[in-house]
Amino acid sequence: MTTTRTNDEPQVAWYRNIKVLRVVAQAVFVVAVAALFFWLFNNLINNLNRLRIGTDFGFLSRPTGFQIPYDEGFNPRSPVRDMVLVGVKNTLLAGLFGILLATVLGVLIGIARLSSNWLVARLSAVYVETLRNIPPLIIIIFFGFAVFTFGPFPILSEATQLQIPGTDKTGLILSNTLWAVPSFVAGPRLGVFWLVIAAGLVSAVAVFVWRTRLHERTGVPDRRLRWSFGVFGLVAIAATLLLGDAFDISYPTLAESGRRIAGGFRLNNGFISVTVALGLYTASHIAEIVRGSILAVPRGQSEAANAIALNGFQRYRYVLLPQAMRLAVPPIISQYLNLVKNTSLGVVVAYADITALTQTSIGNGQPAPQSILVLMGVYLTFSLTISFLLNIYNRRIQLVER
Amino acid sequence: MKRVTVLLLGLALVVSACGGDDGGDGEGLLEEVRDRGTIRCGVNDVLPGFGVVDDTGNYSGFDIDFCRVVAVGVLGDADAVEYVPLTAAERFTALQSGEIDVLIRNSTWTATRDGQEGSTFLFTTFYDGQGVMVPDASDVMSLEDLADANICVLSGTTTELNLTGVFNTRGIPFNPVVFADNTALRPAYEQGQCDAWTSDVSQLTASKAAIEGDGGAAQRILPDVISKEPLGPAVLDGDSAWAQAVEWSVMATVQAWEFGITSSNVGSFPTDDDRIARFLGAGEFADFDPGLGLDPDFAVQIISEMGNYEEIYNRHLVPIGLPLGGTPNDLWTNGGLMYVPPFS
Repeated sequence: MTTTRTNDEPQVAWYRNIKVLRVVAQAVFVVAVAALFFWLFNNLINNLNRLRIGTDFGFLSRPTGFQIPYDEGFNPRSPVRDMVLVGVKNTLLAGLFGILLATVLGVLIGIARLSSNWLVARLSAVYVETLRNIPPLIIIIFFGFAVFTFGPFPILSEATQLQIPGTDKTGLILSNTLWAVPSFVAGPRLGVFWLVIAAGLVSAVAVFVWRTRLHERTGVPDRRLRWSFGVFGLVAIAATLLLGDAFDISYPTLAESGRRIAGGFRLNNGFISVTVALGLYTASHIAEIVRGSILAVPRGQSEAANAIALNGFQRYRYVLLPQAMRLAVPPIISQYLNLVKNTSLGVVVAYADITALTQTSIGNGQPAPQSILVLMGVYLTFSLTISFLLNIYNRRIQLVER
Repeated sequence: MKRVTVLLLGLALVVSACGGDDGGDGEGLLEEVRDRGTIRCGVNDVLPGFGVVDDTGNYSGFDIDFCRVVAVGVLGDADAVEYVPLTAAERFTALQSGEIDVLIRNSTWTATRDGQEGSTFLFTTFYDGQGVMVPDASDVMSLEDLADANICVLSGTTTELNLTGVFNTRGIPFNPVVFADNTALRPAYEQGQCDAWTSDVSQLTASKAAIEGDGGAAQRILPDVISKEPLGPAVLDGDSAWAQAVEWSVMATVQAWEFGITSSNVGSFPTDDDRIARFLGAGEFADFDPGLGLDPDFAVQIISEMGNYEEIYNRHLVPIGLPLGGTPNDLWTNGGLMYVPPFS
């Protein structure tokens, strides 16, 4: 009568028991890494204390001390955190407009490179291959210097002013530092106007849903986009006509001194250089991504589209692009993040983005480690937000594998 | 294999835990520099007269010469210098992190820099002020005429802060156009993207000479002087021995000028006066060592290799249009501010 041990393992000493060793190894590794970071952090704090540089984030309440370029409303006595907000705003503006330009241009050029027109295809190939291989800093410098500093635009006091035909108002002012276009400013009853617009949006969405359900129920062509836009358009036109004084148009005027432009929407040369240069550069990358994702759609799809006599535009719109864009979205998200981070190069053309302002404030005495941490936090927030939002879109359209 | 891994990780843990012995990084910078054999000097490489680098990599200028003066004083060799070119915005971070031993880069002595930026400013080698330069053809005559103007300025400098302060006090609106260094600033100014350029008057004089020398438009420096700008070397807080070694090396050049000792006559200068003998470490004072950590004949080495203050000044700053006589940089006996403590 032998009892069989259910546990067949031989008794092993703990220092040779593989399960124990695995756990111990992990623990030792974690402790080693933690010790390293603790030592680094301690070293930093000790040195900062020794030099009597602050180790906290109190510097955010100190006055900035310097004037921010092209931001007349900024008071140099306002605290550093206000300066950070201005920097965030400038970076976001350059980033958003750059992303817009890059997407539109990139998709067009990506498709163009696959065109059957030899000249169009070759020109887009040249564009992509040239811009992809030049570092973005060089493109920004080139733009800033070739277009503005040494470019064809006159100095501000002799700026080119283009009148709106039929009126004596200026539609466009061009110079080598500032460009200006008319802009909308809030008039009275603006709140009512926005309420009406919001109501229009809601009804447009309601119409969209209604037409979709109708189509599902009865098979009638939904034409839902046409209906929705039509409804919204009617509401908007009605609002503009009835509440027309909600908006005023502000026309840019060059001041007597020839040194500033009053009114209108003013763009400074740094902003334009950074936005356009990065838009062009990122567009070349997006073009390649789009081209690659279109080519990844199986050939059979294009052939089938041709077989049922869809023309080129219809082939792209209904067959190729819907399938291609699913593949393209994740790499395009990366390119958007790169563009936002590349706006930090704007410091070279005197654009006051968050990096430039942080460098200036460090140079003027704010503590460097904390300022850089704030800067990194800002970029991290941008990146995480952009990728979070776009990943929502991506999850909805991505290919679902079984 | 697992055992080896565990042992190695344990060793790494132990090593990292006892690696933090850096208390007092600054103490003993003098010994550290002597062991290393070179001085790392933070300098400007784009400012004519003060610090420029030519296309063979040789640095020259007023501040560069003072780097060499310190090298002679501490190490006995004017060429034992490693020049670290820095922009205005990064110079104090480089000093704080220990990347350079001394910063001689036309930097202004301010309370904030002594305090929260962790640096210690030494003897002022150049008394300057901030000014504004406009093209000669412009109709700007005073600061009030610069309302709403674009004004070129370097990032991270006292000029930027002073500009904001002065203009806000006088209620003059303006727009700063901020650059990291003069290479990008100068074309923007010359092409009219800025109406004016503000900087230390010495920098403006150098740039004026450079622009006009390269065939550009004539320039005019406005008579308004916006602020005091005492320029001098800076070291990191917490190491008095190093600070004093640097400072007395620099001050030796002014003391030599006061005595009339130049590079050509230092070898044969009469040392009957006790003060001169102590200073030069000559005669019965050949072993006079006040305990600064410098050789007894450090002054002789400095003067014979680099010259006295006047020679250094004449070599670099007079050619760019900055006279010495009658300015604050003249000797105190001539009505200027150059006055050094006695070497005794």
